[in-house]
Parts: sequence; C-alpha cells; structure tokens
Amino acid sequence: MKKQRPYPPQLSLRFFRWFCHPKLRDSIEGDLMELYEERAKEKGKRKADIRFVLDVLLLFRPGIIKPTEGYQNLNTYDMYKNYFVTAWRNVVRKKSSAAINVFGLTLGITCALIIFALVSYHLSFDNFHHDSDRIYRFVTEEHRDQVDYEASVPPVFGKAFREDYTFAEKVARLCTRTNSLITIEKGEISEKYTDQIAFAEPAFFEIFNFPLVAGTLDQFAKPNTAIITERVAKKYFGNEIPLGKTFRFYNNFDLTVTGVLKDIPVNTDLRSEIYFSYSTIKQYSEWYAADDAWGGITSDIQTFTRLQPGVDPLEVEQVLPAYVKKYRANSKNVHHYKLQPLTDVHFNAKYGGVMDMTTISILSLVGFLLVFTACLNFINLATAQAVTRAREVGVRKVLGGFRSQLFWQFTIETGLIVLLATLLAVTVAHNTMPYINSFFDLQISFNLFSDLKLSGFLVALIFTVTFFSGAYPGIILSGFKPVQALKGKLKAVQSGSFNLRRSLIVAQFTIAQLLLIGLIVMVFQMKYFGNTDMGFNHEAVVIIPTGSNDEKLNSLKDQFSVVPKVESVTACFAPPASNTNQWSTSVLYDNRSEAETFSISYKGGDENYLATFGLELIAGRNLTTSDTVREFIVNEKFVAKLGLSSPEDVLGKQLGVNGNSWKGPIVGVVKDFHDQSFHSDIEPIFITTRKSTYNVFAVKINMKDAANTLTALEKIWSNMYPEQIYKYDFLDDQIASFYQTEQRMMTVIQVFACIAIIIGALGLYGLVSFMAVQKTKEIGIRKVLGGDVAQILWIFGKEFTVLVAVAFLIAAPVGWYVMSQWLSNYVFKVDISIWMFVLELFIVAIVVMVTVGYRSVKAVVANPVESLRSE
Amino acid sequence: MTQQSLGEFEELVLLMVAAQHDEAYGVTILEGLEEKLKKKVNISAVHVALKRMEDKGFVKSRFGGITEDRGGRRKKFYVITALGKKMLDAQYDLRNSIYKQIPKISFG
Repeated sequence: MKKQRPYPPQLSLRFFRWFCHPKLRDSIEGDLMELYEERAKEKGKRKADIRFVLDVLLLFRPGIIKPTEGYQNLNTYDMYKNYFVTAWRNVVRKKSSAAINVFGLTLGITCALIIFALVSYHLSFDNFHHDSDRIYRFVTEEHRDQVDYEASVPPVFGKAFREDYTFAEKVARLCTRTNSLITIEKGEISEKYTDQIAFAEPAFFEIFNFPLVAGTLDQFAKPNTAIITERVAKKYFGNEIPLGKTFRFYNNFDLTVTGVLKDIPVNTDLRSEIYFSYSTIKQYSEWYAADDAWGGITSDIQTFTRLQPGVDPLEVEQVLPAYVKKYRANSKNVHHYKLQPLTDVHFNAKYGGVMDMTTISILSLVGFLLVFTACLNFINLATAQAVTRAREVGVRKVLGGFRSQLFWQFTIETGLIVLLATLLAVTVAHNTMPYINSFFDLQISFNLFSDLKLSGFLVALIFTVTFFSGAYPGIILSGFKPVQALKGKLKAVQSGSFNLRRSLIVAQFTIAQLLLIGLIVMVFQMKYFGNTDMGFNHEAVVIIPTGSNDEKLNSLKDQFSVVPKVESVTACFAPPASNTNQWSTSVLYDNRSEAETFSISYKGGDENYLATFGLELIAGRNLTTSDTVREFIVNEKFVAKLGLSSPEDVLGKQLGVNGNSWKGPIVGVVKDFHDQSFHSDIEPIFITTRKSTYNVFAVKINMKDAANTLTALEKIWSNMYPEQIYKYDFLDDQIASFYQTEQRMMTVIQVFACIAIIIGALGLYGLVSFMAVQKTKEIGIRKVLGGDVAQILWIFGKEFTVLVAVAFLIAAPVGWYVMSQWLSNYVFKVDISIWMFVLELFIVAIVVMVTVGYRSVKAVVANPVESLRSE
Repeated sequence: MTQQSLGEFEELVLLMVAAQHDEAYGVTILEGLEEKLKKKVNISAVHVALKRMEDKGFVKSRFGGITEDRGGRRKKFYVITALGKKMLDAQYDLRNSIYKQIPKISFG
C-alpha cells in the first residue's frame, strides 16, 4: 500500500526536517503530506511536487526554523520542574517522615547558626584596631611556691619602659575602676550615676581605634580633663553640647569634658566609656601615681604597647628582668614580665580572658555534632524509605534517565527539605537571639542581610548539609537495577545496608549519651557546690558598701546594730570568700630572717568578723577592738604551710605583713574555710583590724520580715550619705556568682543534650516505623500462630537495646575521660561514680522505650487479618 | 502586558479556527480559507500565523492520534482560547461601531 502512494521530493523533505523546529515538525509535515497526496491525486505528481517544494521553501522563515542555541534547554527545565513536583508530592504523601526530617534538620541548623554567631562574635573581639598584630599587653607571672598570673604590671612599669627602651611605638597605661560614683550638678539638683571609668594616657587613643567625634586629644594630657562617648554624653547632658561641661568623681574632684568619642563597638574588652586624663590619677591614689611603685601589682592598671614594626616580643621580654633585678631584688615574689598579644586577651583565662579557646572549640564541636546527627537522621530515613520509591526509579531508568540525573533529582529533593528547614531555623534563631544575649550578657546581632559572614555560612551550610545528607541516599536510589525495581523484588537489604543504618543510630546515640553524661556530671558538681559547707556562714548576710572610712563608719555600724532583727554587724575588707576584693602579700613569721615563699591573703575585719560569719576559733582568742593593726588571727592552713603541727605553736608569735609595715602578735587560729571558689585550694589567710581598708559592712539579719529590715538599713545609710547611691547584695548571691560560668555552661549543655536526644529519638522513630512496615506480615503470621504481644514486641526491643548498649559502651569511656578533664579545673570536686552512668542509661532507656514502644505497640496490636488478607 | 495585536491574515485564521471548533488543523484551515476567499492560500502562511497566535495565547493546540494517512504524522488540532475569542469580539465591535457611523447613503 504504502509504496504505491506518491512520495514528495526527498531532498526538500529532508531539508524541511532539518530546519524545522522539532515541536512543529510532526504536525506540519503531516499537513504537507496530506496536501501533497490530495494534489497528486487531483493535478498529478509533477504539480504536486512543485507545490511541495515551494511550500517547504516558504516555510523556511523565523518562527518555524529551530533556534540555533538548541531547543533542548526547554526540555531540561521541564525536567527540573518535574523534580520539584515529585519532591513536593513526596513531602505531602509522607507527611510524618517529612516532618521528622524538617524538624530534626531545623533543630540542628538552628543550633549551628546560633553557635556560629556566638563563636564569630567572640573571634571578632578587638580586631578593629590598626596594626593589632603589634599591640601587646604587659602581664606578670608571679613566681612564689606556686605561679600566679596577673594581667597587669607594677603601676610605674609603663612609664619606665617608655623612657628606657625604644622597642615601642606607643606605650599607654589604663587604670579602670568599675562602679564609680559620678555626680553632675544641674542647678539645684545633683544627678548621681555609678559607671565604669578609666584613667588613660593620651597614647591609649593612638594605640586603640576609638575615634573622637568632637574635641581634640591635645587637652587630654592636662589633669582633670575627661573624654566620654556619645552615649554617655547623651545620658549625662542630654542634647546639650558636652564639651566644656564638668562632673564630679566620688565627690572628690571635678572633671571637664574635652572630647567626645564615637560609641564603643560591642566587640571589645575595653569597655570603659568615660576616660579621665592619666595625670588626674594622683588625686585618686598616691601609690598609683608614684614613680617608685614597683612594690606590687594592682589589677586596676593595665599597660598596653604597640611595638615598632619588626620588633620581636621575645626580644623585649629578655630585657624586662632588668627591672626585677633593679627594683625588686629582695622580694620572694619573683616577677616575670611578659607580653601578651592583643588577640590573646579575650581568650586567655589565665589572664582574665572571658572566653577560652577550649570553650569555643567545644561549642563548635557540639554545633557540628548536632548538624551531623540531624544529617544522619535524614540519611537514615531516606534510605529506609528507598524501597517505596523503587518503582519510580525503575520507570525513570526505563525511559532513559541516566544514573546521574536520578542522583541529582534526589539531591534536589534533599535540597528542598534542607532549604525549608533552614528557613525555619533562621526564623527560630532570629527570635531566640535576644534571649541568648540576655542570658550570656552579650550583644550579638543576628542579621542575615548585613552580616556577610553569617549569610555566607548559611549558604555553605545549606550546600554541605544537602550534599552530606543527600549524597548517600542519592547513590543508593539511583543504583537500583530497573528490572528488579519494577518487578518489586527489591528488598530492604539492597536499599542501603542495614548495618550502616544501625551504625548511624549508634553514632547518634553515642553523641546524645556523651552530652548527657557531661550534663549529669556537671549537675552533680554544681550540687556539690551548693551543698558543701564553705566553712563559714553565708546565709542571710547582707553586704553594704561602707561609703567612707572615717568616723561615719563606726556611727553607721552602731546604728545598724540596733535595727530590730539584725543579729550582728561587722565592717570588713571583704567577706571570707570574695571574688572582687582579693589581696595577698608576703609574710614574715616570728624571728625568721627571710619572708616565707608563700603569700598570705588578707581578710580584714573588726572584732565582730568571726561572729558574723560564724568562723570557728580552734586556738587562742578573738581580736580586740581597734582601728589599726594590733593583733592577728591566722588559719590552720597557715600553720600547716609553716610546717608546724599544732595551732597553739603560733600563738603569741610575731607576724609582719605588707612589706613588714603591719606587725603584731598572732592571738588566734581559725578553722579552715573556703576563702575562694571551689576552683582553688584554701590559702593561708590572716585576719586583722584596720579600719582604713574596710570596704563593706556585712549585716547578719533574721530573714523573717527581711523586707522591713532591708528598708531600715537603706534609710540609715542614705541619711548618712545622701550624695551617694545605696546598693546591697546578699552574700549568697555573690557566692553563687562565682559559678556563673558553670551555671551558664550547664544550661547550654542541657539544651544541647535535649536537642541531641530529640534528634536521636526522631531518628529512632523513623527507623522503627520502617521496621514496622517491613515486618507487618511477619507480625501477622506470628500472631496467627499464637505468638503473644510481649514476645513480638521483643523483636523490636532487642534490636534497639543492642544499639543503645553499643552506643553506651562508646560514650561512657569518652564521657568519663572528658569529664575528668573538666573536673580537674576544680580543687574541690565530686568523683565520677558508676551511679551517674546508671542514671544516664536510665534516662536514655526511657526515651528509647517511649519512642520505640509507641510505634511498635501500634504495629503489634494491629489485627493480623488486615496484614495477611492481601496476597 | 501591552495590547495584543492581531494581523489581518491572523484574524482570518483565528476566525476559521473558531468556526471549525475542535476540528481545525493545518489542512482544514487552509481549505476553509481557500473556499471562503476564493483564492490560493499558502500552507506556510497558515502555520506561521498559527504559531504566532499560539505564542500570543489566542489559540491552544493538542495532538491527534496517529493514523495511516499523512505518512503516519500526527495532526495538530487548534482551539480558540478565551483570550482569542475576546480579541475577535473586540475586532468585531470595532468594525461594527465604525460601520454604524457611515451615514445612510443611497447609491443610484
């Protein structure tokens, strides 16, 4: 039949097929053929041929000709569109597993984002100063029988170094005082503020990048001048021009504002916003200003320098011992002066750094682990469900899909879920940041659009997570053999090895259990802090500043002691344990010719000190009333350090401290008490009377009706010092603040442990659902044959019991090691006991039981008829 | 979107597609036009017009089944869309309104 039909000219037909757009080719060719046949019938082959050629030539025009750049693109776009459609359908069809995935990833990514913001915030500290690689802080190692680290050098050091050596481009001293009383006279009223101030040499502003917005530095060399930030200017003087305005410092001397600084950025440890010219310091402390102040170190004064280009800090450190030889030749406290790079200041806990690098690495590691577990979850669920998509893979392959195309399809699917999770995570992180800031006392901004680093990290995270969690399932799925897949002969074994899935679960639970072990040890250690007797009474003790050290002090004390419900009052240098007022000195005992190698710590207080804090005398008697140094009380530790066996031995012996300027006999020995936090050992201490050093009143009150008592105390104090600001603290709160870092750390670990467990449980749930579906028939048959529910449940139970047990065997030794390292920070600590691990295992067991139990009971109690009916 | 334009020949093809509702493909449209216009029309012109109008959204197409005729090629059937119909109506109204403005003239 076909051959008898007339056929159009081959050449022009081939030409047409070549140039015509493939989408149009079929239909137009059909039309041409139809017309040709018709014409050939009516008018003969020749005429039809001519018309055909003419038509083809006339069709050769834009619109019909295929585009040169290749029409294929269109098809691929459609394919991508199809990927998205398929992905969306999959999400909608398997809502629960999609929810598990998105939820898990959201948790992980949120943590990663927050941790990244936190870490990059800390790493950015003081990185905005010019030539910051040449900026150093002078620090001191104090070598006695042990080594102490001080973030400062003797007050005169900076001046001497500047004059004696040419290593430095600039040297600047900075003397910082927190909570300083500032008064501003505004007509009749005087406004009072307590702010941090700092005495600074002009070079300070040349070393550090704190630019002025008004005024000049020229004036700043003169005494009684001050530079303040815009924020403080606004606070003190409102909208008036601050230049030339004056304010008072501790009702002692006046300062005139000669410059205004741009507000201090958040990422600096130099937090002072009010700077006094350093020449004013004489009016504050004679010793700080003295040219021979080599005798000691105050943490108030820090000395910074920017070295000349090319100067090696080690070279500088080598000349510094000359100062020790020259000025401190006889001291048992041997100073070693060092240069600490500015980049180290924020991170070196030894020298008071806020955030040590270990914490930063631990945080980063935890963040990484959380994202990692979330990814594992994803892989787990995706491979578990691979079988359900076998048909799709089969069909796609039969229709000519390449393996690489299938791989990309599944990767895009993963990418979509990751993207969704990331969007949620960003929202969550953005909304929790304010809470995190207030919890850690930070000022981290979380702004994706202005923070390039953060948005970069986010993009990198999306890609990494997508590839990490998408690649393996992609490889598995795209590797299916089409024939087997279509016949439905694929078994779970082929959809990713079951052992692999097991190891993923084990990895997740190892991480979760590790965090949990850490948390439990921390909780026990904190409990230990709370429950262990510090050796003195710190309950219901109110700490109030003395205000001044003249006769008003005694008068206040008398007034306080007659307030009802006040049990006892003492004026003292500091409470028995204090983080703020610590002072240690070398000690000369009895007739020994040389000072001891250890230092002794000062606890000054009047005759009520022992009674108020419940310190127990084990030998001798209490101090007699005095305003100056007359007698000493020491502790057991001091006796032990001297190498004496009995406390009675030291009674009546002479003691000389503070460069032998305070002398007197030892009259009593108190039982040891914790004079510092549990991080440190108990030190030798001495207690003596010296009114001029008293900083605070400690008032022991009866907590019944405390509110009224506190009001009464405030009233008395404010009447005495109307020009000052009243404030009080409970000693308990001060002691609790010793462990603020630990408290915070614990909360953080708590949150992370919870998240890790949730992610782990989600993964477990996913796996159980998969098993339950796979074992539907098996369960049905077992039930029909008379297996009881408990027996069948155990099929699930034993699987997961083994997995959790294996995870525990890995986590326990690692956890034990890490936590013993952590505990070694404390002199006083709990022992890691077997019970902590039992408790940990118990918690995990409950989580696993609930997760596995819920899903498997559902599978087991199902009617076997349902599962066996089909087939 | 700017005002869509409809050329004179396009309008004729579109009218033909509408008239041969659901049965219109290249050859029928060609033959219909030749019959009405009483002159030869080129198949290429018809296809170009159809393609342009499909791009503009005045017509949409579907493929017919494969038959023994036409060398086994499928027919591409065209149907007018709502937009195409609206366009035709607008053209008709325009012509009508102008036509109505013609004063009554009687010849002869």
